[in-house]
Amino acid sequence: MSLPVYPIWICDLVGSALMILFSFLCVRLAGKLRDRDRTNVVWLYLLAVCYMLAAFAISRSVDHIIKRILLVFHYDSLWVLVRPFSGAFNTLTFVFVASVTLFFGRVWKVYQQILEDKLAIQTAHEQLLFMNHNLEDLVEERTRELALSERKYRRIFEVSRDMIAVVQDDGTLLTLNPSGMEMVGLCGGDMSSGSRLLQDYFETVGDWSSLQRTLQGQGYVVDTEVSMKRADNTLFSGLISGSVEDRSRGNGEIYHFLVKDISYRKAMEQQILQADKLASVGQLAAGIAHEINNPLGIILGYTQLLIRSENENSQNFEDLRIIEKHTRSCKTIVENLLSFSRRAQTKKAACRINDVIEEVLSVVRHQFQLEKIVIIEEFDPRIPAMAIDEAKMKQVFMNLIMNARQAMKSGTVRIETRYEETGRKAIVRVIDEGMGIEARHMTRIFDPFFTTKPTGEGTGLGLSVSYGIVKDHGGELLVESEVGKGSIFTIILPVLQTVNQTAEPGAGKRSQSGH
Amino acid sequence: MDRTLTLAVPAAILGYLLLSPQAAMAIQSHGGPEGLYVHQMAHILFLFSMGALIYWLRDSGLIKAPGWRYVQYGAFCLILWNIDAVLGHYLDGHGSSFVLADEGSWSARVHFGSGSGKLVALYYFTKFDHLFCVPGIIFLYMGLRRLLKQV
Repeated sequence: MSLPVYPIWICDLVGSALMILFSFLCVRLAGKLRDRDRTNVVWLYLLAVCYMLAAFAISRSVDHIIKRILLVFHYDSLWVLVRPFSGAFNTLTFVFVASVTLFFGRVWKVYQQILEDKLAIQTAHEQLLFMNHNLEDLVEERTRELALSERKYRRIFEVSRDMIAVVQDDGTLLTLNPSGMEMVGLCGGDMSSGSRLLQDYFETVGDWSSLQRTLQGQGYVVDTEVSMKRADNTLFSGLISGSVEDRSRGNGEIYHFLVKDISYRKAMEQQILQADKLASVGQLAAGIAHEINNPLGIILGYTQLLIRSENENSQNFEDLRIIEKHTRSCKTIVENLLSFSRRAQTKKAACRINDVIEEVLSVVRHQFQLEKIVIIEEFDPRIPAMAIDEAKMKQVFMNLIMNARQAMKSGTVRIETRYEETGRKAIVRVIDEGMGIEARHMTRIFDPFFTTKPTGEGTGLGLSVSYGIVKDHGGELLVESEVGKGSIFTIILPVLQTVNQTAEPGAGKRSQSGH
Repeated sequence: MDRTLTLAVPAAILGYLLLSPQAAMAIQSHGGPEGLYVHQMAHILFLFSMGALIYWLRDSGLIKAPGWRYVQYGAFCLILWNIDAVLGHYLDGHGSSFVLADEGSWSARVHFGSGSGKLVALYYFTKFDHLFCVPGIIFLYMGLRRLLKQV
């Protein structure tokens, strides 16, 4: 069996020619690629491979084309001479392409690393150039940003309504904002003159030690309530939050504190508690008074009947008179309790409060003169006529003025009235220069039967009755006092001009405010 | 003591060898078949390197670009060509199976001796090795052209 060789020859001749053609085209393209970037190792690799493939194509053409020609023209001996060189060169081109390719994987990784480093260096170089060219602008911009930031935080520091303090770990005040200085009663110059300690403004040093321990332990304190004192030794309640600035520093720590004055809030809470307590006591008093009032009426009635049938000079008559007197006293107390609990009948009519006070003063003025107590009146004539129970309000003013007199041996009692047009309120203040009320008594002064007077001088119902009457008028009775300096009782009444009627028991306007 | 022995024994052996020389066959002679073996080994090395090129192109993700994908196809064709060439050269060595008559004329024919039909067909087919290497170089050309456009 045999097969013709010419198809192989044709394939060889055409294939070899195509190999030469495309290998040289590849060299041209690879050369162009290399020219685009002469440092690119990939293009260098492709160019080297293409060169070797071109050499390979030529050697193959020698092997396949020239061989045919030499054999056809019977130059067999020449072909025998050329053949080993052609074959060897062919082999060399394979080995070269294979070697370059096998090494190229590693070269590629190194090249990638070089590219990364080059990029990093180039970026750094560009940044340096940029900074070199724009350093002045950058510094200026940064300075502007810092100034803006400083101004922003400075403003927060200065306009804050709470104390902001920067303190060393030993308590030395480094910085204190204006609100802080105002809170502790310092002026601007005080901070610059000598070092001041934050703990000096704590009522007890133990609070500072406790804060310090917590800060050192956990690095911060949150909403810790402490009693603080101002430069003039007056007290206020502060709510402190603080943190340590930088715990990594070795030479002492810096504390940042935010202190909120919660005195007003605490006072309001106290007032709410007081009002709740008085409301409960009032309910109790009303219940008791109601139950006692009827039996007392019966006792008084029967006593008066018995008195009529007795001889005026008899012992029974005297005894019955004593019973009648004490029964009446009991009834007065019961009526006062009913006033306190706002269950007593209120007869409101339009009248001027200044006139009511004036009438009360006309009664007591002579006695005050005897005791060398000066009464100063500052009445606001703008207060219009108001719907009030004149008799009961007289009782309130009488109680307050007599309390003022009893609190001092001599001095001045100032009675002021003022009209607040915006809130339509009449404000009456009774100010004395007496001994004042101790803090521990402040929460109890409106309690029924509470008195600091000696036995027999007071029932302890005056202020509680006044409180009930004012409340019944929809008003508030407030007290401020300082031991040794005196007290200020303030009555705030709503101005209701159109009311002219008899109110039903307990139908008075009830205040929902926290007093 | 031990250290002296450690140095003395190798020194004594080296001295003995230097002082008793013999005739040596320093240059190895090479016969005719070595050329064919070297050529075959070069084909295998070429094949292996093309395989490595394909692995490297895929591993580095370069084949996502069309240019490199064509280069990969070219490498694959060259692998096939190397296989064909290795087989062809191997079968060339079996002179008794295939005889070339009238090699210097256009009427030259291949006569087959004792070889089986499949082996004959394979031998004849391996002679058409340009069917693999020409597409390989064309793919390489296409790949370079695409790369040139991308750059």
